[in-house]
Amino acid sequence: MVFYLRRIAFYLVTLWAAISLNFLLPRMMPGDPAAIMIGKLRRASGGRELSEETVKAIYALLGADKSVPAWDQYLAYWGRLLSGDLGVSSTRYPYPVATLIGNALPWTLLMVGAATVISFVLGIVIGAWVGWKRGTWLDHLVPATSLLQSIPYFWLALVLVAAFSVQLRWLPIVGAYDVFAFPSGPEWSWDFMVSALYHAFLPALTIVISSVGGWLLGMRNMMVSTMSEDYVLTAEAKGLRPSRIRDRYAARNAAIPSLAGFSIALGFVVAGSIVTEQVFSYPGIGKLMIQSVQGLDYALMQGVFLVITLTVLAANFLMDLFYGLIDPRVRSHG
Amino acid sequence: MKTIPVGVAAAAVAISLVLTACTATPPAPTASSSGTTAPKASVLRVWAGSSTPITVDFNPFHVDTALFGTYGPIYEPLFFYNQLSADPPTPMLGETFAYSADGRTVTIKLKPNLKWSDGEPLTADDVVFTLGYGPNKSDKLTSVTATDATTVGAKYSTPQFTNESQLLGATMIVPKHVWSKVANYMKETNPKPVGSGAYVVKTTSDASYTLTANADYRDGPPPISDVQYLGLDSNQSGQDMLTTGQIDWTGMFVANPDTVTGDGAIATMNAQQDPTVIVTCSDAAKGCKGAQTDPAVRQALNAAIDRPALAEKAWAGLVGEANPAFVLLPRDQQWLSDPALAPSPQSPNAAQAQQILEAAGYAKDAKGFYAKDGKEVDLDLFSPDGWTDYNDAAKLIAEEAGKAGVKVTARTVSEAEYWTPVTNGDFQLAMYGLTQSLVADPFSNYDQYFYGKSTAKVGDAPTRGQNYARYANGVVDAAVEAAGATNDPAAKKAEYAKIQAQIAKDLPYIPVVLNASQAFFNTKGFTGWPTNDNLYADPLPYLSVAPAIVLLHLKPVS
Repeated sequence: MVFYLRRIAFYLVTLWAAISLNFLLPRMMPGDPAAIMIGKLRRASGGRELSEETVKAIYALLGADKSVPAWDQYLAYWGRLLSGDLGVSSTRYPYPVATLIGNALPWTLLMVGAATVISFVLGIVIGAWVGWKRGTWLDHLVPATSLLQSIPYFWLALVLVAAFSVQLRWLPIVGAYDVFAFPSGPEWSWDFMVSALYHAFLPALTIVISSVGGWLLGMRNMMVSTMSEDYVLTAEAKGLRPSRIRDRYAARNAAIPSLAGFSIALGFVVAGSIVTEQVFSYPGIGKLMIQSVQGLDYALMQGVFLVITLTVLAANFLMDLFYGLIDPRVRSHG
Repeated sequence: MKTIPVGVAAAAVAISLVLTACTATPPAPTASSSGTTAPKASVLRVWAGSSTPITVDFNPFHVDTALFGTYGPIYEPLFFYNQLSADPPTPMLGETFAYSADGRTVTIKLKPNLKWSDGEPLTADDVVFTLGYGPNKSDKLTSVTATDATTVGAKYSTPQFTNESQLLGATMIVPKHVWSKVANYMKETNPKPVGSGAYVVKTTSDASYTLTANADYRDGPPPISDVQYLGLDSNQSGQDMLTTGQIDWTGMFVANPDTVTGDGAIATMNAQQDPTVIVTCSDAAKGCKGAQTDPAVRQALNAAIDRPALAEKAWAGLVGEANPAFVLLPRDQQWLSDPALAPSPQSPNAAQAQQILEAAGYAKDAKGFYAKDGKEVDLDLFSPDGWTDYNDAAKLIAEEAGKAGVKVTARTVSEAEYWTPVTNGDFQLAMYGLTQSLVADPFSNYDQYFYGKSTAKVGDAPTRGQNYARYANGVVDAAVEAAGATNDPAAKKAEYAKIQAQIAKDLPYIPVVLNASQAFFNTKGFTGWPTNDNLYADPLPYLSVAPAIVLLHLKPVS
């Protein structure tokens, strides 16, 4: 019980620190968002004079008001946060940040999430198998998949698009669904789901290809070291079936360190995959993040970082509890 | 508003993705699946440069965030000014207009029997309302009245000759019966716009928006029944969609346009207009710091750079020749006072650069760079990271300047770190793009970028204009004011001659090239596009108003 209370207290403090940092970081960035927006307005309005009124309105809107003390801004920030108000985006004015994130989050969770799970499962299963058959030709899989991982992701995605979407025309070039067949956006129909699945295939595939090598390598090496443990030798001496030794004795224990990595990877799923979303014009959080940083959109930036922070903390917390459950040593020394 | 359906649908998708990831059979190649479900050739698909997610906004007062179709296809100005020609403007909502001799009274006659897309009549009252509404308000407008249902008279306190294209060609007329009820125009996204143009909004999503023909359009509904604007996040995607026939019209930089136009379906046009320059913080009296405040240093840079090599290496040879008089040739030929000013030097001349510097009292130091009073000329030239043409050009400029003995260091900064110093004057040299005057008269270039009242001291952003070079020259200021008050071409040209002589010598903006403006369009599915012989409008889909003129000229090929 004390273990769990201590963990919860630790996470509350971390949460407070993360949210406070989230307040500070955008304010430490160079550049002035109001100047950026006024500059853009000026160029966009083709020389029309910006009235004093408009300029004042923009300074008021973009919160760069130097007259309000930082402490008051900080308190106001907490107040808004607790009432669920993430503010209004300045790059996509006047859209609320919560709406933008709400629209992007499902696509990120599902496409990047599914790709992460598939990559992990493939890496663990193949890694266990390669480790089990160590010293055979299967060992070549390790450098091969590591090589795939070391290819710059951007380049890999472009090559796959050029080959499968542009040359062969088997797969779509962009989007999360067929925008020509569904100009009004997502709808509840079988056709739409098929379209969405078809459009998610290549982006997800590129993520799997570029990340499976890491899981595979880690699992294979753990598998090899686990197989030299005494209890595996004992199991062999008892005359258990090799498949049982492989699955229940070696692989099960070898997978534990990878699980920890997996929980962190899952936490970061919400950060999306900036490059994937850019190459495939796929909706998602990563794009909002990069657009907000480029446009110095403080509200959107804070909203996105908040969501990422909360998810990573939640994933770690769950994994902590889970570890405490499966490994008593963690509880007594934690 | 779309959160729930997206979430639920995507949840179902992901579950099936997990279950069937490797066995999912794609239904059919995209081209044919979309082609068979929507074979109507009269749907024109456009990428005007929007990125995803598309946030629905058809508010014409949101000049920065409104979607492209807002200006022209949905809302219209009174007249259309073709930025590629010196011809008189084409009537849109207006029929005729007249200026009084002193330029302070403008009388506008509207076409008869105009209608809004909701069926209400469009009258002089709407124009009067528009001119006095929101950002259109001007303290120089003393009165605006509707003398009858189709005549508007506007009186100003100053001559409005130079403001003609702004007033008549860039002010979108909005319906009084709608906008008088809008509480705060800045917060309005106007998802169901009532306009006067040939198109109305059909449907929107966060990946695209579709306009459809306005059945009650004054000249009859346009032949292209639907226009779908897409959101894409990279030029590569745009190019791929173009080559695979999935989009029909776009405007973007393609380094090797032959790969796109190769099979004959897609045609291209490249009418360069906007000058790419090195903007310098030029006036020490305004607070600028660095050797570039000396005109001799700017002149040396101007002579040292190799423009053809820059055009080839940084822009794949797709750019035009810039000139230090900042007129667009051949459009503005009549305003060029001295033929020697055009174009900017097209071959590097290190010897001349050195001569200029030595005449101004500079001498080479031990490292081979010029210095004056023991202080080495050491200039900083920056550009936004990822704007590869600017980044490459800056590197080449630094190299060439170095050869002439002028030390220039090129560096890249994030976009956020680019705009603030440029607007506030906290810089030495920056790669920058000017917007060419939209009518066949360079006045707005001089007024926006060179006029003393368009600047501010270092540390402040200018409240009017974009004179980020902090350029201040009494001769130029007087000439800009005099040119703005006259409508006599000869008198205007005399004033422009004074301006051109000063700015070509002072070089607060060192002209580099005229930026590429490539448009690509599908000539197999649609006819009626502008050609070099018939440039009735600029075929760039991201412009204001011109795309609507192009859409009205297009016909689907059956």
